[in-house]
Amino acid sequence: MANYCMSRYRIFRNLLHTGSVLDSISARCTTRLCLELRPRLELPCQRAVHTQGGDTIFALSSGQGKCGVAVIRVSGPQAKESIHQMCSFRRFPAPKSTQLRRIRDTDTKEPIDRGLVIWFPSPKSFTGEDCVEFQVHGGPAVIAAMVTSLGKLPSYRHAEPGEFTKRAFMNGKLDLTEVEGLGDLIHAETEVQRKQALRQMEGDLGKLYTDWRNRAMKAVANVEAFIDFSESDTLEEDLLCEVTAEVDRLWTEITTHLSDHRRGERLREGVHVVIVGRPNVGKSSLLNSLCQRPAAIVSPIPGTTRDIVETALNVGGYPVLLSDTAGLRETEDFIEKEGVFRALQRAKQADIKVLVIEATEFVHLLQTDSIDDIMINHLKDIGLVSRLQQNTVSPVNVQTVTKDGDLQDDANFISNVGELIVVLNKCDLISDVDLAFIEDIVQKKGCLSVCHLSCTSGHGMEEFLKVLQRRLAHVCGNPLAGSPSLTQARYRFHLEKCQGHLENYKKYMELGDVVLAAQSLRKVLFDIGKITGRITTEDILDIIFKDFCVGK
Amino acid sequence: MIRVLKTVLTFPRHNCGIPGCSPSKSVRKVLCRNVNSCTEQKFDVIVVGGGHAGTEAACASARMGARTLLLTHKISTIGEMSCNPSFGGIGKGHLMMEVDALDGVCGRICDKTGIHYRMLNRPKGPAVWGPRAQIDRTLYKTEIQREVQNSPNLTVMAGAVEDFILGQCHNPDLDTMKQRCSGVILESGEKVYGESVVLTTGTFLRGMIQIGLEEFPAGRMGDQPAIGLAKSLEDAGFTIARLKTGTPPRLDKRSIDFSKTVEHAPDDPPLPFSYLNTEVWIKPEDQLPCHMTHTNEEVEKIVMETIHLNRHVQQEVKGPRYCPSIESKVLMFKGRRHQIWLEPEGLDSEVIYPQGISCTMPEEHQLRLMRAIPGLEKAAIVKPGYGVEYDFMDPRQLKPTLETIKIQNLFFAGQINGTTGYEEAAAQGIIAGINAAAKVQGKPPFIVDRTEGYIGVLIDDLITQGTNEPYRMFTSRSEFRLYLRPDNADKRLTAKGYDIGCVSPTRYNHTLQQYKEVEEAIDKLKSTVKYMQQWNKLLQLPMSSNPKPYSAFQLLAVPGNTVEKIAMAMPEIFKDLHLNRQLCHKVFAEGLYAQELEEQMSQIEELQKEEQLLLPENIDYLRLNEISMEIRIKLDDARPASIAAASRIPGVTPLALLKLLQFVKRALNKPQSAGTLPLESI
Repeated sequence: MANYCMSRYRIFRNLLHTGSVLDSISARCTTRLCLELRPRLELPCQRAVHTQGGDTIFALSSGQGKCGVAVIRVSGPQAKESIHQMCSFRRFPAPKSTQLRRIRDTDTKEPIDRGLVIWFPSPKSFTGEDCVEFQVHGGPAVIAAMVTSLGKLPSYRHAEPGEFTKRAFMNGKLDLTEVEGLGDLIHAETEVQRKQALRQMEGDLGKLYTDWRNRAMKAVANVEAFIDFSESDTLEEDLLCEVTAEVDRLWTEITTHLSDHRRGERLREGVHVVIVGRPNVGKSSLLNSLCQRPAAIVSPIPGTTRDIVETALNVGGYPVLLSDTAGLRETEDFIEKEGVFRALQRAKQADIKVLVIEATEFVHLLQTDSIDDIMINHLKDIGLVSRLQQNTVSPVNVQTVTKDGDLQDDANFISNVGELIVVLNKCDLISDVDLAFIEDIVQKKGCLSVCHLSCTSGHGMEEFLKVLQRRLAHVCGNPLAGSPSLTQARYRFHLEKCQGHLENYKKYMELGDVVLAAQSLRKVLFDIGKITGRITTEDILDIIFKDFCVGK
Repeated sequence: MIRVLKTVLTFPRHNCGIPGCSPSKSVRKVLCRNVNSCTEQKFDVIVVGGGHAGTEAACASARMGARTLLLTHKISTIGEMSCNPSFGGIGKGHLMMEVDALDGVCGRICDKTGIHYRMLNRPKGPAVWGPRAQIDRTLYKTEIQREVQNSPNLTVMAGAVEDFILGQCHNPDLDTMKQRCSGVILESGEKVYGESVVLTTGTFLRGMIQIGLEEFPAGRMGDQPAIGLAKSLEDAGFTIARLKTGTPPRLDKRSIDFSKTVEHAPDDPPLPFSYLNTEVWIKPEDQLPCHMTHTNEEVEKIVMETIHLNRHVQQEVKGPRYCPSIESKVLMFKGRRHQIWLEPEGLDSEVIYPQGISCTMPEEHQLRLMRAIPGLEKAAIVKPGYGVEYDFMDPRQLKPTLETIKIQNLFFAGQINGTTGYEEAAAQGIIAGINAAAKVQGKPPFIVDRTEGYIGVLIDDLITQGTNEPYRMFTSRSEFRLYLRPDNADKRLTAKGYDIGCVSPTRYNHTLQQYKEVEEAIDKLKSTVKYMQQWNKLLQLPMSSNPKPYSAFQLLAVPGNTVEKIAMAMPEIFKDLHLNRQLCHKVFAEGLYAQELEEQMSQIEELQKEEQLLLPENIDYLRLNEISMEIRIKLDDARPASIAAASRIPGVTPLALLKLLQFVKRALNKPQSAGTLPLESI
């Protein structure tokens, strides 16, 4: 079947290449596009039943937050195995029938939960492969246990962002309209993942993973250099011994890390909401009113808040980690400078940013500028736009960063309303006429979330909470959002893989096959790369050429 | 005139094997003169350049049955080895085997002209074996010229190309294709017409040679550079950059004291490059040895003293990180000892090529430098070393067929694309030659992808990533090293090449037959199952307490076991399998890597699925507003052929890939009625 497709596909390519059929058609370019794509898109359909081989993937596919039921989806050639290993049946369930069963750990056979199990054999499933759906209780402990348990099955792994949909696409399971919609999903997933990675990479854990990555890269470079150059160039004689020693060290460190049950790692559950704005616009007051206690010091002196003040909240059932930050302004004070740096860093990693602006200032500006201009100028002014584009590392650099965010990016930034809620604070200080004026403009400009409230009087607070809740629902509708535990499970999965590869490296070295050993090390890089970002051949060659003088 | 050509060209292929015997040579010469005098001659494919890319391209095109013209500055320098007198190596050897699997010439010629064969990396396993040989320069040139002269459909002509004949492009594959190349214009103003043109100009485009502070235009020592052609390419809108490389001084063999060096003996028996050969031309004992010496502090001192006299080193043009000049070695790795290999240039040659010490300082200092090296105290320099700086085309302006995206039917191959090395050049040459002919003949493009061969890795790297140093092949560049082995290039590529027409039926049948035998042998090995204890006894392995049964095939993964050993222990099953060295080796490699290969094959399948998500060649990336400008520019530079290729471009995010896919799908969705019409009619 596959061959048939290939040959058919080649026929089209031939035609395209010579252009013989197409010349007579007036809309040539677009036609060619269609022609080129059609066979390609058909190709996977024909192969739907053939996607055997490859890993079996799993992931939580229901939303985060407090919910009664969580859905965990499994897809791939070995999907059936999960039913066999986790539930007991006298007769294997019929396709698409719903069965209530006790679900057990794949390894220890300890019960995890009672839940529904549904079996979707290929090709009549979401991805076109064999699929299993587990519907269990929505608590984080149950979900974590399910995910860990599935990860222990051979050839099972946690799905990469968008992987279910990619498989469905490859198997011709999505029609064109569905693919259109898919973009938003993957966008959200990758965005969330990027932010999560940033969050994880900050601090000791990040340092640890990066260190492993660099050492693994170096080990691979040494072995690769040995393979490609040791016959013709002088390399250090104990090169491979060094690698073996390093592999031992890495193995020990990863093993210790995996077995300490993540002690000392602070899990920051919840959606990250960060309050930002100029000094003294009432950010801390907003935080205090939201959590209904004086968590942050409030004073009329600008720059009171210097460090980040965090508090955990429950907003309409969604777990939220709310952070108050230092007011954004140019400053010479070293401590405040660091505070501003931290505020921007935190804003960069946030799922939702709440931008606080003084209502009086806003009204003043509205008389001359459009709302869009005001927003762009304000964001630029406080450094949120241009600085968000940069990877600033040091507080010293923050001041010297050039504001080079071009207009295109600004527009993108503003239009990405999911990220930003604008709060006009101190609206008790403006007249009712002005208030009506603001309301009018805001209503016309429906897409941008703008709330006006007064932390002192409490006016508008409920409206703000509603807006925030809507945003939270939007963010949490995404299966991967706000769940460090799932990311953790993914990391764990890849680290366990690394452990295995490192063991294989040693096994192959003992057998004396450096090529197979190198293959195992390359797999270590692949799996670490899944955590810290992809590692390319060029990265390896850079190390080789820096460390070795090769070329006879 | 065409009729005359045809009669001459249908001459039977002459191959009596006696050097110098070529009855058609005289006829050829007359023919060449005729072509010279006859303006407005028309060919299918014109190949410009007679180096390793050029000869490979011309022969491939001729094998495809296209009327081919090889145009070069000097007919006498066809097949010249301008730099080192050797072919192959690790990674490079892989490329040669693949060229041979496509019926290319370099492997077969090396089997007839080598004087020191050595399989590098032998203990490390068959996936990374590096076949390499010192080659007799003169013999190689003679043999290549004979091959070229005796190729049916191939005409040779001397001439310097100044410009192209460009016409309007009536059926562009890409929006960027505004023009179509239909021939070349010579220095004399003569026009030669050809449906496709392959440009393989090596280092000749605005080549500048540098020795010390001296600098003069030349493509190679003693040869004129191509300046007009470079200008024409620039005018056509190609992005051009500069690279540099160097070559060491040549020494007089009689002036070297070899007793102070370490001798390196060649292989016995020497293994051939070509799948068609079971042995090489030379007797094992007639091979010449190589010698090794090394640099010392004195060398370092001389280099540092003369840096101010060294224009080549002071310039900012990028040279190779691999194979650096002695100056770069000293500057980058101070205080280390560097190896120098003393390699013979030919059986009867008195010239020695000191590999590893290319330098560009003034000649008198080169002599001082040489004489500081152990064994070379009295060395005499025959030809000084020099550096060469030349133009190359940004290879991201090429399609996977090596056709340019700007001018239809114009192909680039070899060093012009920023690579270094004979093998890299030959690999590109054969692909460009096949595709130039295929295009004329209305055949589909011939693309080797990353999962099929090192040729695919080379071309994919070049056209999607570009290069900023002379690109050289290493095995570390391939993701699928266990599958892309030197022993199975014929399995991977010969049938594919036969389908397009560049592989002879003889070779195709030879390969089919051989793999039938491989399959049979593997089946036999797999069905021979014994308990480990029985195996231990039979093969006299060290005792182990493994109670499981193993097949003979699984046993190959255990160190120390070979197909020969197993076959000899059980002659009743395997008969005289152990006598067929090539066969045994192929089977052994399959058995050794069987376990990991399975995984690698599923990865290959995965990647191939993504490679099949082709991107239309005419996307205007710069207009894809949904993707960030930075990525748009990257995509526009690389013009990836598939989603998989796009994903390999550094900096392209999953989101951008998805947007790209969406855009293409949307475009597909719009004019549906027009699109389905020809589809149904197939």
